[in-house]
Amino acid sequence: MDSSPANRRFAEDIGVKFPLLSDWRRKAVKDYGVYNEVSGYGTRATFVVDKEGIIKHIEEGRTAIDPTGAYQACNLFDKKKAN
Amino acid sequence: MIKRFALLLLLPAILAASGFAQQTTTSAQPPVAPAQQPAPPKTHLKVGQPAPDFTLTDTEGKQVSLRDFKGKQNVVLAFYVLAFTGG
Repeated sequence: MDSSPANRRFAEDIGVKFPLLSDWRRKAVKDYGVYNEVSGYGTRATFVVDKEGIIKHIEEGRTAIDPTGAYQACNLFDKKKAN
Repeated sequence: MIKRFALLLLLPAILAASGFAQQTTTSAQPPVAPAQQPAPPKTHLKVGQPAPDFTLTDTEGKQVSLRDFKGKQNVVLAFYVLAFTGG
């Protein structure tokens, strides 16, 4: 929903090195079921997707603010790879 | 470990946030108690399902799709709403 220029300024401010994508048309939030029709904005959510495009972990709402769950899900990939 | 994952941050925030602020400041109706507000959406997606593909624009104007990473990298997809607030 934010424009790409706004995202670029945000990326510069916080110094991120990963892609910041603009969901200007709100399609992705709707496709992922994290769009609140009443409020007009989405909720925070984290999806961990494997190389084959399969969802391996989902965090929604307040738990998505804390990245611990997603981080642990990423560790599971590493353990499976090691085995 | 971070390098093994492509972290994509989606920012569906600031316009909606400003609209929300306007709505709350101009409404003549009494504020709705938190318990009466609609619950945040629960995604219909489940672990084990294919992640819906998308094509969105990054900060350099480049189109990025989830399918770009298929067969190459795992992806952490973070919907970071209200990114410009302290919340």
